[in-house]
This record gives sequence, C-alpha cells and structure tokens, in this order.
Amino acid sequence: MIKQYVVSIFNDEDSLISAIRQAKKDSIRISEVYTPFPIHEVFEATGIKTRFTLAAFLYGFAAVVGVLAFLQYTAVIDWPINYGGKPTNAFPSFIVVTIVLTILTITLASLFTFSVRAKVYPGKKLILPDKRSTDDKFVIVFEKNGDDDFTNNLVNMLLEHGATEIHYKDSETLNQYHNDEETPTHN
Amino acid sequence: MENRFVIPKRLKMISLALIFIGVVIMVYTFITQPNRAWANILLNNYYFLSLSIGASFFIAIQYITQSGWSAMFKRVPEAMMSYIPFAGIIMLFLYFGMHDIYHWSHEGIASQDPILERKAAYLNIPFFFIRMVVVFIVWSVMVRLLRRISLAEDEYGGLEYFEKSEFWSKVHIFILAVTFTFASFDWIMSIDSHWFSTIFSVKNFVAAFFHAAVIITLVVIILNQRGYFQSLNKSHLLDFSRYVFILSIIWGYLTFAQFMLIWYGNIPEETAYYDLRWNNGFRWIFYANFIINWFIPFVLLLSQAVNKSKNILMALCILLIFGQYIDLYEQIFPGILHHAVFGIPEIGFFIGFAGLFIFIVSKALAAAQLIPTNHPYIEESIYHHVH
Repeated sequence: MIKQYVVSIFNDEDSLISAIRQAKKDSIRISEVYTPFPIHEVFEATGIKTRFTLAAFLYGFAAVVGVLAFLQYTAVIDWPINYGGKPTNAFPSFIVVTIVLTILTITLASLFTFSVRAKVYPGKKLILPDKRSTDDKFVIVFEKNGDDDFTNNLVNMLLEHGATEIHYKDSETLNQYHNDEETPTHN
Repeated sequence: MENRFVIPKRLKMISLALIFIGVVIMVYTFITQPNRAWANILLNNYYFLSLSIGASFFIAIQYITQSGWSAMFKRVPEAMMSYIPFAGIIMLFLYFGMHDIYHWSHEGIASQDPILERKAAYLNIPFFFIRMVVVFIVWSVMVRLLRRISLAEDEYGGLEYFEKSEFWSKVHIFILAVTFTFASFDWIMSIDSHWFSTIFSVKNFVAAFFHAAVIITLVVIILNQRGYFQSLNKSHLLDFSRYVFILSIIWGYLTFAQFMLIWYGNIPEETAYYDLRWNNGFRWIFYANFIINWFIPFVLLLSQAVNKSKNILMALCILLIFGQYIDLYEQIFPGILHHAVFGIPEIGFFIGFAGLFIFIVSKALAAAQLIPTNHPYIEESIYHHVH
C-alpha cells in the first residue's frame, strides 16, 4: 500500500520544536523527524517515553545473577578444584568476572534491542526525505490520512510555525529529492 | 533575590553549642582514655579536612573542564575549603599524641623491628612534622589564592580572573596529587606501620572527593530550602547526583580492588591489615562500609526520578555523612584501639568538630556574595538545562 506523506522543512531548531509542540497539542501523529544534530527537546516535545533504561537495567540484573550462578555452578558444584587452599566458593574473585561480563551483556543486549526497536540493521535501505537534513535543514514528516481538511489544516499550522517548504510525497517518492534526482550514496 | 547568605542566629548558636559540648567531652576523654581521645582527634580532623580537600578539588575540576552548570554554586565549596588552615593547626597537636596513635614513633622500636628499621628514614617524628607543615602551608596558600582570585573577579569582572583561576586550578590539582599521597600515607596508613597499599592514597582521595560532593549537594539543597539559590532546578540536581553516583562507583571499585588483591594474594604481611578489621567486632563495619558508601547510592541513583528529587537526595547525603565516618573508622580505629568501641566520646568528638566546621564554613559563606556575579558562565549556570 502506498502511503502519502507531508514533508515539511524548517530553517531553525526553535520553529521545529514549536511545530512539534503544536502537532502534539492537536494530537497529530508525527511519523519521523530528521535533524542535522541530536536535539533533546524533540523527545520532550513529542512526548515519546523510552523504556530503554529499564531494559538495560534488567539486562544488567539478569547478567549479574546469571554470571554469579554460572561461576558458582562451574567452580563450586560441578568441578571444585583446590587452588592453593582457597575455598572453592571464592566470592570476591567472582566479582571481577561478574563486572566485566555484565558490561559486555548490557552493551550487546542494548545494541540488539535498539536495532530491533528502531528497525536498524546492516544493509538497511536509507530513507532520507530531504538530503539537506544532514546539512542545515530540519525536517518533520507527517502521514496523510486521506482527509483533505486535515492536510490543509496541518499545512497551515506548519507554515504558521515557520516551515519554509512543504512537499507532498508518497512511499515511493519519499527518497527522491525535489532539487536533484541523484540517489543518495551512503558510505 | 538576596545574594548574601546571612548566618541565622540559631545556626550560630547551635554550632557554638556543639563546639562547647564537644570540648567538654573531649576534655573528659583526654583525662580518662587518652589514646581513644587521640584516635578521635585524628579521625574527626581528617574527616573534615578531607571534605575541604575534596571541595577544593571540586572547584578545580569545574575550572579546568570549564563547566558552566556549577558556576552558581561555587561559593559553597569555596567556603568549605576555608577549613584547611584550622585543620592544619589541630593536626599539629598530634605531636603530643604521637605515641598513642603511631606505633612506629616509640623510642627505640626501630632497632628491634627490621621492617620499621628500614622505614625509619621516612617514618620519624621530625620528618613527619616537616611534611605535615609543608603540606598544610602549600594547601593553605593554594586555597587562599583560589579564593582571592574568585573574590577579585566579583569586584572587577572580566575574563582574566577566570583564566587565572583555571591556571591555578591545574597547579592545585597537580600539587594535591603529590601532597595528598604523602598526607594520607603519613596520617592514616602509617598507623598500621608494617602494612602498605599502593592504591591507598587514590582510594582516600576519591573518598574525600566523593564525600565533599555529597556535602556540597547537601548544603546547596539546604540553602535552596532556606530561600537561597532560587534558580536551582532539576538539571542541577541531576548533575550533582551524577557526581555522587559516579564517585560512589569509583570509591567502591578502588576499595574493593584493595581488599580483593590482598584477599586473593593471601600473604600474611598484607592480610594482617584485614585480619584486624575482620575480628574484634569490626566485621559489621566492613560490610556497612560497602553497603552505605557503594550499594545504597549506586542502586538509588540509577533512577533519574530519584536523581532529581530533593528529599531523597538529601536523605542520601545525610546517610553518606555517616558513610565517610565509617570508612575512616575502619581505617583508623582498629590499628589504635584494637577493639571496636563506639560511645559518647566518639559522638562528642564528632559533634565538636562538626560544630567547628559549620561555624567556619558558614562564616566564610557569609563573607562573600553567594552567587558570583561576574563569573563568565553564570548565565549558563542559572539557566542550566539538560534534557
């Protein structure tokens, strides 16, 4: 199914944020925002809540329990070895291994979680509605819902908040640029 | 907004009353149990000195990283570091208590003890006090210099004072790295004169920085509740909590590293240190040390909501006041008294020194504008905002 998009271009950060705030107030769904640099206010303005930190904490907790259980099993239960009279349950020396493996687990698990949730994977086709958003323009993409009034109101609102250009695109033309037809190369 | 801290009459009365009670208990303890009294003097003086040193390091760190967020609160650590000269004077009194605290200071002990004989070139009373005097003179001069530049900036303004402060902060950090090593080796580590640990001074320095950050946070929150620092916002609190959080991790890391290597190596010369701190009633202190100074801050401050909550942060800071005490108690008391004792003398000494510290710090805080007006980053600090 072909989706219809409204691509709005902004010249500066403040008008971008104010447009996002207004869209949020009018409960219009924003499908994507492209900015040249990370802007924390975008998260705040869109009201997106992330549970990523909770996930990271749970991975860490699971890793601590898992690694300690693994060490306990291998060193104490399954194959106890006498190292120079040390108790087989050498808890303080388990800690170092636990720290290192916990860091590794959190890092990898978070990376994969992020990839899955953000649908980023190796070989993914680049989607970039406007190439200038890697340079000095700020872009918000909305999805049309088929209602012309809705689109008109949206466009008016965007222009009011300082949008400099509005482009109508669909899922096939989303990656094409009005100013040059060259397909983006990304290395 | 009032830009001058006025010492409340009650605070002044309370601090003087604390000093008075402290002095009464001190005199009584000196008469009845002199070695316990000396252990307390060393512990409490070092405790508040470490807060001052940590505070001066905090300022220096803010300058060399050109941090904007903390510019508004600069006067708090500045006031805290004004305790250093007083700590130096009190520390000199250890001359009369050397034999009660330091085993190596006894006459003729070096000739009977091969380890102490080798160390005698360093660990002898004259050289000990020469180092102490040098260290305190250097610290007092540096701290005065930083304070004077900061006050001059208030008066005349301009970027040159900031640049001066930044330069002297670098010097100060370099000096601290060297002098604090000697200081902590001398005053704390030489109590157990047969034992040594190369990580010792780093660990104690981080503990000082950690607990100084805690006290700065606490003072800032209290002042905010009293109507000062009206522009304190959640972003500032988040930054303060991050300091406490990361320093508790570093503290835990270093303290555990010292313990773990000695436990794993299992060499009698080294384990003697922890043997003393494991038996004779000290074991619960060993655990409490890790729980209060690492586990509780670590788990609590994982959550951003807690990071930004004034009340929880304040409760945590108050808990960590005891944290530093327990940490030092574990290092100082077993080597001097050999048995875990805690009673009215310990409380009395602590409140006496706390009274003195509050008195001096509040006086220094009231002596200058609470918010430095000509600091180049002051605007950034007032409107500080992180996501």
